Amino acid sequence: MLSSKNSASGQRIWLISAAAAALIAAALRRWQLSSAFEEATGLAIRGAQASVILMCVLIIAGAWFVLLSMHQRPAQPRKPGQAYPWDLVFLGTGDRVFPILEIAAAFLAIASVPILFIVGVGQFQLYQEALTAHVQPPTNNGMLTLATAAGAFLAALGLLQMGRDGLRPGRRGRGGFAAALPGVAGCIWLMESFRAHAANPVQWDYAPQLIAIVLGMGFYMDFAGMSAGVARPRRLLWMAGMTVIFSAVSLVSGLAELSARTAMAEPMLCTQLGDVLLLVSQMLAAVGALWRLPPHLESPQKARKNAPEQPALEQEIQEETTDE
Amino acid sequence: MDENLNKPLPQAGPDPGGQSAPELEERLNPAQAQEPEEAQEQPAEPKVKRDASAGRDLYMNVRVLVSMMAVFVLLFTFVARVIVVSGPSMENTLIERDLILVWSLGYTPKQGDIVVLTQESYQEDSIVKRVIATEGQRVDINYDVGTVSVDGEVIEEDYIKERMLLPGWGEGINHVTVPEGCLFVMGDNRNESADSRFPSIGIIDTRCVIGKGLVVLFPFNHWKGL
Repeated sequence: MLSSKNSASGQRIWLISAAAAALIAAALRRWQLSSAFEEATGLAIRGAQASVILMCVLIIAGAWFVLLSMHQRPAQPRKPGQAYPWDLVFLGTGDRVFPILEIAAAFLAIASVPILFIVGVGQFQLYQEALTAHVQPPTNNGMLTLATAAGAFLAALGLLQMGRDGLRPGRRGRGGFAAALPGVAGCIWLMESFRAHAANPVQWDYAPQLIAIVLGMGFYMDFAGMSAGVARPRRLLWMAGMTVIFSAVSLVSGLAELSARTAMAEPMLCTQLGDVLLLVSQMLAAVGALWRLPPHLESPQKARKNAPEQPALEQEIQEETTDE
Repeated sequence: MDENLNKPLPQAGPDPGGQSAPELEERLNPAQAQEPEEAQEQPAEPKVKRDASAGRDLYMNVRVLVSMMAVFVLLFTFVARVIVVSGPSMENTLIERDLILVWSLGYTPKQGDIVVLTQESYQEDSIVKRVIATEGQRVDINYDVGTVSVDGEVIEEDYIKERMLLPGWGEGINHVTVPEGCLFVMGDNRNESADSRFPSIGIIDTRCVIGKGLVVLFPFNHWKGL
């Protein structure tokens, strides 16, 4: 068993690594945007220094997180299929940071809903007008944007539940299936992001965002897996760390697009704004997992004595797990 | 006090806490350990089955779907993608609404390949054309006889729909040496194709190429390699 000092240093190293790598990657992405693309065409310059270094940093960060994950030694459930020792990992009694991060993530997700909805309705109306006028309709009929808005709402509900479960003492810290909702919603967001860029030959324009969404989906699904008896805590930590980094890289692109729109006096209400909010949302949720998971994996917090769910059994199993 | 908790524990079992897993389970969860003989015959399996709840099954199914979605999108981004042909410019090789598989990973355009590309000076959506010449090659188009020459040799084009006529916009780009890193592309339906001859499209940068058309996937009666 790790001492609390070691656990705290484990938490710190995950958070510091993720923050440092995200900042470096974001700075490199900014450099890449200003130097690695042709101004006239927007095409990527082959072998541009910024692109090469950014790629190297992302690979090194991935490898570093693999090492950190391998170093993390979580206690195992005593039998296959038993979920409850893992559930307690996210219990946040006495610690407000995790619930606050998850709830902030939920509010950011919900903030993107009206934006995506209004943009989607606008796209749908344009498409219908083109059909009525018998002219070539735009490639986007708005349906996927509307579906993404609905997905963002579902994700917000899931994130609220995750934060709420971590906040209430005496309950198990699990998010349960609610934690899978942002993962499922990520599927729709992924399809919308891919559709928006399917004809774009410059992969750097959209690949980081697609990878960020995929990593976020994986992180949320593993989060839900902690309560379904199929925990993959090491993979969860890796996914959470990489979600932070790739979200930071995509965020730089999103903000650059938004500032370009501002410069050209185009309306700010666009899918990019929704994407930015969703990226920050999943980034905060991932930071929450990095905050909560490492110190509690080996010694999950104890549930309150009068906890409504499996009170006595849970406490005894915790003690057994801790003894390991 | 529960009788099960007062029972002496056996010595066997290399459990880290000093107890064998079945014994510990019995102490912690006596309601689920009422049939010791049956438990001895099948010590682990029934317990695992009991723990496999409907919620876990639902989670596993959702996880498979989410993982498949992620894999598909990543494959479509980096390896290959499926596009629908729009417009008549590649007839009769490809017709409107044909669904084709496009290979992107590590592709370098070659003469004669059918490629999918995006030329933003023309339109934001992608277009499908055939590569007539690559970098350094000389292209000469003779509308009088309806032929295309590459490096002085007339190329055999059994794939074109009909004899090439002078386009409505004029001769356009018809005598050119393809610059480094660029392509000269044309549609197989020469008389209804906006391609490298058309000044708004012109010579194509190879970085605009998304990939090579491999096969027509749908409709099935059009299935063929490209």
